[in-house]
Amino acid sequence: MSNLVNINVNPCKMCMPMGAAMAIAGFKGAMSILHGSQGCATYIRRHMATHFNEPIDIASSALSEEGAVFGGEKNLQKGLDNLIKMYHPQVIGVCSTCLAETIGEDLKAMIKRFHEKNPGSGASIIDVSSPGYGGTQNEGFFRALRAIVEQTVSGAPHKAREGGLINIVAPMISPADTRWLKSFLNEAGVRSILIPDISDNLDGVAQKRYERLKSGGTPLSDVMRMKSAEITLEFSEFISEKDSPGAFLRDAFGVPLLRLPLPTGLRGMDRFIDILCAYGGKISAEHAKERGRYLDAMADSHKANAKARAAVFGDPDFVKGIVSLCCENGAVPVLAATGSACAGFKRALGGEIEKCAQNAFAEGFEIADDCDFSTIEHFCGKLGANIMIGSSDGRRAAGRLGIDLIRRGFPIHDHVGGQRTRTLGFDGSLGMLDEISNSMLSRTEENFRRVIYNEHFKPLKEISKKERLESHPCFSGCASQNARIHLPVAPKCNIQCGYCKRSFDCPNESRPGAASKVLSPNEALERYKRFKKNCKNLTVAGIAGPGDALANFDDTRETIRLIKGCDPQVMLCLSTNGLMLPIYAAELIKLGVGHMTVTVNTVDPSVGAKIISYADFLGRRFTGEAAAGLLIANQLSGIKMASEMGAVIKVNCVALKGINDGCIEEVSKKASELGAYMVNIMPHIPIKGSQLECLEKMSVGELEALRTTCEPFARQMRHCRQCSADAAGTLDMDFFSASEERSAHQEFDTENTKRFAVASKSGIIVDQHFGHAEEFLIFDSDGASSRFVERRKISRYCGGAECDEEGKWAKILKALSDCDGVLAVRIGHAPEEKLRASGIVPIRACERIEGAVAAAAGSLREAESASAL
Amino acid sequence: MPVKRDNLLEKYSAKLYKNRKEHIVQLDGEDAKIAANTRAVPGVMTARGCCYAGCKGVVVGPLKDVCVITHGPIGCSFYSWGTRRNKARVEEGEQNFTSYCFSTDMQESDIVFGGEKKLEKAIDEAVALFHPKCVMICSTCPIGLIGDDVQAVAKRAEKKHGIKAIGFSCEGYKGVSQSAGHHIANNGLMREIIGTGDRAPENIFSVNILGEYNIGGDGWEEERLLKRCGIEVVSIFTGDGSYESLQNAHLAKLNIVMCHRSINYIAEMIKEKYGIDWIKVNFIGVKATIRSLREIAKYFGDPALVERVEEVIADELSLIEDEMESIRLKLAGKTAGIFSGGSRSHHYQMLLADLGMETVIAGYEFAHRDDYEGREVIPFIKEDADNRNIEVLRIQKDEGMYRKFHSPEKMEVLKDEIELDRYGGMMRDMDAGDIVVDDYNHFETDELIKGVKPDIFFSGIKDKHSIQKAGVVSRQMHSYDYSGPYAGFNGAVIFGRDVAMALCTNAWTLVKPPWHDEPMLVGELTGGESHA
Repeated sequence: MSNLVNINVNPCKMCMPMGAAMAIAGFKGAMSILHGSQGCATYIRRHMATHFNEPIDIASSALSEEGAVFGGEKNLQKGLDNLIKMYHPQVIGVCSTCLAETIGEDLKAMIKRFHEKNPGSGASIIDVSSPGYGGTQNEGFFRALRAIVEQTVSGAPHKAREGGLINIVAPMISPADTRWLKSFLNEAGVRSILIPDISDNLDGVAQKRYERLKSGGTPLSDVMRMKSAEITLEFSEFISEKDSPGAFLRDAFGVPLLRLPLPTGLRGMDRFIDILCAYGGKISAEHAKERGRYLDAMADSHKANAKARAAVFGDPDFVKGIVSLCCENGAVPVLAATGSACAGFKRALGGEIEKCAQNAFAEGFEIADDCDFSTIEHFCGKLGANIMIGSSDGRRAAGRLGIDLIRRGFPIHDHVGGQRTRTLGFDGSLGMLDEISNSMLSRTEENFRRVIYNEHFKPLKEISKKERLESHPCFSGCASQNARIHLPVAPKCNIQCGYCKRSFDCPNESRPGAASKVLSPNEALERYKRFKKNCKNLTVAGIAGPGDALANFDDTRETIRLIKGCDPQVMLCLSTNGLMLPIYAAELIKLGVGHMTVTVNTVDPSVGAKIISYADFLGRRFTGEAAAGLLIANQLSGIKMASEMGAVIKVNCVALKGINDGCIEEVSKKASELGAYMVNIMPHIPIKGSQLECLEKMSVGELEALRTTCEPFARQMRHCRQCSADAAGTLDMDFFSASEERSAHQEFDTENTKRFAVASKSGIIVDQHFGHAEEFLIFDSDGASSRFVERRKISRYCGGAECDEEGKWAKILKALSDCDGVLAVRIGHAPEEKLRASGIVPIRACERIEGAVAAAAGSLREAESASAL
Repeated sequence: MPVKRDNLLEKYSAKLYKNRKEHIVQLDGEDAKIAANTRAVPGVMTARGCCYAGCKGVVVGPLKDVCVITHGPIGCSFYSWGTRRNKARVEEGEQNFTSYCFSTDMQESDIVFGGEKKLEKAIDEAVALFHPKCVMICSTCPIGLIGDDVQAVAKRAEKKHGIKAIGFSCEGYKGVSQSAGHHIANNGLMREIIGTGDRAPENIFSVNILGEYNIGGDGWEEERLLKRCGIEVVSIFTGDGSYESLQNAHLAKLNIVMCHRSINYIAEMIKEKYGIDWIKVNFIGVKATIRSLREIAKYFGDPALVERVEEVIADELSLIEDEMESIRLKLAGKTAGIFSGGSRSHHYQMLLADLGMETVIAGYEFAHRDDYEGREVIPFIKEDADNRNIEVLRIQKDEGMYRKFHSPEKMEVLKDEIELDRYGGMMRDMDAGDIVVDDYNHFETDELIKGVKPDIFFSGIKDKHSIQKAGVVSRQMHSYDYSGPYAGFNGAVIFGRDVAMALCTNAWTLVKPPWHDEPMLVGELTGGESHA
């Protein structure tokens, strides 16, 4: 799922004035006033106070409707005047809001006029353009820092740099981390100017007399000196140049700028220390020991950490720091998400996470910017996250997912101590790492006995017939949420039906005209395990061809044993023509096969002779009525034996118009009499090249009439989906369709891939008209093999049923924007033109998806190289 | 008692003094006048929020089966996400959106080119994802300025999706506080929802609880009590309320009003349109609860009901008496200050009195004069530019549905006996010497604490920490610090325990206000009492 396009559900970001106010709080004697309606200040005070557990004074110019219409200068002037009279601030940050920016207020001019009218105010007044729609709190934070530096530092560039002076620009880090940073710099003997310094102002002490104007923070006199520093270190790799104070100092005063990741984790710290040392810093023996302790802990807890699948969310630089800490400790950040729209985010994190994921056997990961919590929660579930790291807004998702949330970043509203969280330095990183490790250890402590016991030692539970009926999707009906997997291990068949063509799967059980790749029993086990991991509601494993399960009994038996050994609770199911059933019934029951489907088309040998041409039985080939008689006798006795031994039997019956439609009632009666649970009368689907190719297909009405006639004698199945021999998932949703999974593990040339959107209903073959497709399967191919990427619903891109034609097109093109081609059974002329116009090649195909996609990729590449020549 | 009001004002400049002196009153036993519902002073830290906060945050936000979409840039929706602690339980087969936050997350281009299209598509997506029965759109500051017509979008969405959709033009700058948003929300609910249902109550005694937002489960406790007495609750505006139940509000027999400020418009409009009377109740405090229950019974006038109510009162009292007494022993004589939105400062004085405590400072963020002085001042309230901009609905009698429970003669009799269709305001229930502050700001809060030295101060998160830094216990009246319910008989005990715990915790024997400083033995932990 990608972010919804127009609605943000549970936002993972705040607005610019929030960030601006927080940055301003890090300067000595500074206060902020928001130019807009008073709600902005009130909301932001409330959110900051809850996080920092401190009084937060942010004034407002309190614009009313009059101000919104005629401009708010009067209010702002009055507000500045009152603020100065009551609090005597040395610095005032005037931040704009949505309202001020929408009506186009000129803050600079207003401040100028204020100074003219009040020459002795004693306050430096800084204007910050921070419309709520201009970015997130992260951009607002840096923009305020830049505004303060820009409007404070003046004069000519210094010729001589102040030796050893370093500017440090910090993103939103906690007061406790700020304190650590200051003391670390101090102990390293580095002279530095840190902006902002929120260490005291947003984490105050209990005092005899509460001071309204906080005494901490970076004084503006220090900010003025920033232009003569040797270098600016900016702990942000993502903030844009225009909002970067370091970039300003570089461009205006020639102070070199170095942007670096937060000093989180070993590598972040080592990088920081290297730079400090290059500028004359010295690392004390005590700090060297701290590094050693961190290394020691890495080794101590790596086994626990390797189990972590973390979802990290927050501001881009924060996320990168935590991701780096996770990765170096082998904890896989399966999701790195930020609410900001951040172009370089994916690129910056991809390589490291991919490597970490591979080392720890994690299946997948996602990196997402401009992300809301509904998306984060979705990915957490999909990627199996077992821990979340970020602000307290993740608590709802974490609660629903039943996983721990390590609270870091802003805001933390449900716990105390938001102002004291640590992520920087060796000790801060180590505290954080311990929390991750301990969350994993707690999970293990709670679960490991149960998990191991259940996996290896739990005695088999007797499954009652009722339970078997309820948990098998074919028996419990449409509404079933239970999933099944069909394992194609049985290629051979021992009879020849008139409606069957050998090159395809057996049409008795499978979707006609489809051919599955046959698996060995071991391959079947692997596929089962992979599927089981992703599909919690998997209850049934079945063998349904592609030939007859009992004509390949050795492989069938081996497969059943392997599956049962790996998952003792799974229900096993098998389908057969019944010829060998009396011989194997007892063994099947012993193996634990509880469900069987037997295809019985007639109980009259003379009719049967028109359907099958021969039967191979125990080394002899029978033909004509003898073959039919033998088959019928074995089917009937087999059904009786198996059902008496407790199996749940379904009888399939292919309705062949003019051949067996007269005796299907008889089949139903007999099946029921012998103990079968239900009868499934299936339509005959003519297969090209089969003997009964030209037989007229029975209409839905005729079929329904037949079922109604037979209803009094046997329970009728009406929800049959005629699944393929390699189907997997619930009946209604072959979600993890085998085709997706088949292609997942192939060797792949990722350099030269082409991407295709495929219109397919079955998920196996290209079988849909372009105009009918509600979703596309996205495949990548390098021309040799192809790989399933994802499903994309058009409705996601199209705003509903009444979306006009033009709008719908725009959405389809948006959905397919990264595709090189579209594969469909047919495409209308107009859409074909439109696709071409957008650089997407329309391709008609009707074969299996992987093959078609690979062929299309091949021809596209050929065409490209031809045109290149 | 020394006059503290003047000490408070003396620090202000002449201009500010002129403005604020009308909003600060020291009572002298006579009926007092106060200025209220006027613009906040720029630059002082007002506790007030905006119009959007009143509409979305207070009134429509708690409706659990409504998908409330904030139309605007991201901040406002984020800041109003789950910040009022309204509780809501999921009805069988229904949805609860109260833990969700929906926003159109407008970007610069939407401000420049208009956001209607984005809003329309956002509604499409919300409908496709969540299938709500009702969608509400709350506007933030830029919407009115860029000319997005949220009502028109709502109408189109209704047609397209076959659901109810309501647009609220509650831009933050409208009015002077949250109060404007309450009024706008009241109008929308009245115009679009109330009266559209047809599920009549089963019981002959039925009420709507108006202005109960179910903070900490207060509404549930009230509903439990009323049910015990044999009174059916048709709908609650709006804590744990739902679009479904609000539709049937016009079929109840009586409206009982908790928060007068935020919902009196609906009480009055329902009375005009459907003839349903309203009485001001207060379930905060033991005596107040008893009085409220008795008045409801008296209104219905059924002897069996009156008897049943007395039985319930006696039984509930018997269950809490002992514990109330033990709490009273700890709290008697303590003083309190209380600043809240528009009604609680009055309600909680009753409960504090039950606990033997005295309220010496009280104030409101956004109340009107009638909340302080009583509804009889309404005709004399001067209209100004700010409140003229808020629409007043023209209500016409619904001839088909209009009905009176009592004859005019009976009403005359009842009017003398119960607080029917009127409200006497907060100041009459306070004593001479007490200080009342309207639209209190941070500066005044600090000064009052220093000057009046209350033992405990009830307000909100914005001043909580500065109050605590001054060494005074603070409890949050907006969120109850996650505690509650505080309503009814059981709630009184929970509140009493919370207050006693806060005042007597050992922590406060070590963190002391400056004026307690001198005689104390520093570092000694005592068993219960905080101040020797």
